[in-house]
Amino acid sequence: MNARNLELVLGPVRAIMRAALIWAVCIAAIVFVTVAVWPAFKGNDSIDQAMNNLPSGVVQAFGLEGFGTPAGFLRGNLYDFFVPLLMAGAAVGFANSLTSSEEDGGRLEVILAQPVTRQAIFAGRVIAALVWVAVVTVVISIVQFGSDAVFDLQIGADRLLATLLLCGLLAGFTAGLSFAVAGLIGKPSIVLGVGLFVAVGGCIVAALFPLSSSLADFAHVSPWDWAFAGNPLSNATEAWRYLALGVPAVALAAFGVWAFGRRDVSAA
Amino acid sequence: MIEPERAGAASSRPPVDAGPASPGERLLDVKGLVKHYGPVKAVRGIDFDIRKGEILGFLGPNGAGKSTTIRCVLDLLRPTAGQIRLFGLDPRHDGPAIRARLTYVPGELRLPERMTGSQLIETIGHLRGGFDATRRDELAARLKLDLSRRTRQLSTGNRRKLALMLAFLWPAELLILDEPTSGLDPLMQHEFVCLVREARDAGATVFLSSHVLSEVQRTADRVIVLRSGKIVAQGTVEELRGKARQRLEVWFDGPVPAGLDKVAGLADVTVEDHRATASVAGPIRPILAYLAAQPVSGLLVEEPDLEDAFLDLYEEQA
Repeated sequence: MNARNLELVLGPVRAIMRAALIWAVCIAAIVFVTVAVWPAFKGNDSIDQAMNNLPSGVVQAFGLEGFGTPAGFLRGNLYDFFVPLLMAGAAVGFANSLTSSEEDGGRLEVILAQPVTRQAIFAGRVIAALVWVAVVTVVISIVQFGSDAVFDLQIGADRLLATLLLCGLLAGFTAGLSFAVAGLIGKPSIVLGVGLFVAVGGCIVAALFPLSSSLADFAHVSPWDWAFAGNPLSNATEAWRYLALGVPAVALAAFGVWAFGRRDVSAA
Repeated sequence: MIEPERAGAASSRPPVDAGPASPGERLLDVKGLVKHYGPVKAVRGIDFDIRKGEILGFLGPNGAGKSTTIRCVLDLLRPTAGQIRLFGLDPRHDGPAIRARLTYVPGELRLPERMTGSQLIETIGHLRGGFDATRRDELAARLKLDLSRRTRQLSTGNRRKLALMLAFLWPAELLILDEPTSGLDPLMQHEFVCLVREARDAGATVFLSSHVLSEVQRTADRVIVLRSGKIVAQGTVEELRGKARQRLEVWFDGPVPAGLDKVAGLADVTVEDHRATASVAGPIRPILAYLAAQPVSGLLVEEPDLEDAFLDLYEEQA
C-alpha cells in the first residue's frame, strides 16, 4: 500500500479514534460491571425459579432462559440485546461520521479535490470504520474473557468467541448498510435513520415476532435472527450465520463505494 | 450537446496523460454545460474556455451558477448535459490525472476540524505526493498564519488563509479559486493578489471566481459574467469597462443651465447648486461642444470601473 492509499485509510482511522475508543470503553465497562455481579447469581436456584414463574413469551423475548447458568446469564444481561445493539449503533455512527456527515458538512470537498478517485476515498473510509468495529470487538472480547476469569464465570471460550464474532459481524452488517445508503444519498439523517432502524427494528423483530404464530416466519428477515437465533452461547454456531452477516456487509459497503462514484457530491 | 454519460463512453477519449499544455493552448474547454438540481436550472448551457497562462475572472451575483460550474469542472457535480475537457481530458473518467495538475479553493470552505494546519497540509501532501516544507513556511509567514492551531480554533479569515496555502503550496498548472478572499482583511487581499500574479508569472493559469470586483479588475486578463446560469458578457476587463457609462461631473460659475438634461448623450442628470452629475450614455463630443459654450468652472470625467460595468450589465439584463 503506497503513502497515498495509506493516508486514505489512516486519516479516517484517526478522525474517529476518540469516538471509537469511547464506545469501546463504555461497552467494555458494561460487560465488566455485568460480569462482576455474576457471583451473586452463581448457583442461586431461586433465580431460575423466579424466571420460570415469568410468562414463557417474556422469558423467550428477553433471553432469560437458564438465567442462573453462565450462558443464560450472559445472554440475558448482555448478548441478547445490549452489547449487539450498542455495537451496531456504534458502527452506524462510524459509517455516518466518516461519509455523509463529512459530505454534508462540506469537509470532504478539500479531499475530493486531490488526485485520488472518489471510490478510493470512500473505500478508505469503509476500511477505517470496519477496522474500528474490529477493534471495539477485540476490546470487548478481552474485557469479557478477563472478567470471566476474575469473577469465575465459566463458559466455553469457543461459544463466547462465536458470540462476540457474531456481534462484530452484526455491527459490520449495519455499517455496510449505512455505507450503502451514504454512497447512494449522502444525507446524515437518512444514513442514521436507516442504520438505526435496521439495528433496533431487527432486534425487535427477532425478539417479538417468534411469539406470534402468524409473524414467526418473518423473524428470519432480521439480521439479529441470523446472528443469534441459534443461541451461540449455548450451541455451536453454523457457518452460514457468519456468512449471512459478513457477505452482505462487504457487498453493501462495495455498493456504497460504487454508488458514491456515480452521483453529485453535496456542497456545504 | 452531448450527454455526459455517452460522451464519457465514446471511444475517442484521449489517453490519460495528455501532457503539459503549451502556451495559449486551451486548458479548460466547456461546451453547452447544463446543470439542473431537480426543477432548479443552475446552469443553462454555457460555453467558455481558459487558455494557458491567463487569469480568468468569473463574476456573478449569488446563485448565478459560478460555484456549480466550478464543481462540474472538478467532477464534484455531474453535468445534466454538455461537455467539459480539462487539460484535454474528461473530468468524469480522468479525475485523478486532472486533479494532480490543479489546486482548488472551495467557495464554501469547511476544513477537517480536529486537525491543525500542519496536519492538514501533511495529509494533503500525502495525497499529492509530498510538499516543499520551505515553501510552506514561507507562505505561512506571508499569510501570517499559525499552522499549529486546530482548524476549528481558526477565525474565518485564518481558515481562508489555510485554504489559500493549500492552493499555492503546490506548483499547479491551474488554480481554481472560488471566492478565495472571502473573509480576508484588505492586507491579506493584497497579499492574495501578489500570490496570484506570482503564480501567473510562474506559468500557472488561474480561474478566479469572485465577488470582489476590484480584485478581479486588478488581476484578471479576461472576465466572464454569469447571470441566472447564463453568460451575459465576456471579454477583457478593458472591453467590459468600455461598455460601461462614464460618469460626468460639472461645476458652473452660476446656476446650472436649464437645458443640460436635454443634451444628447447625457443621462441620469442630477443638479445640486452649481454642480451637475450625469452619466455619458452616448458620444461625448456633442456634450463637450455644449459645455464649451457654458460658464464651466470645473469638469471631471471618471473612467468607469468594473463595478460600473457590472452594475450596468445587470440593470440592462433586468
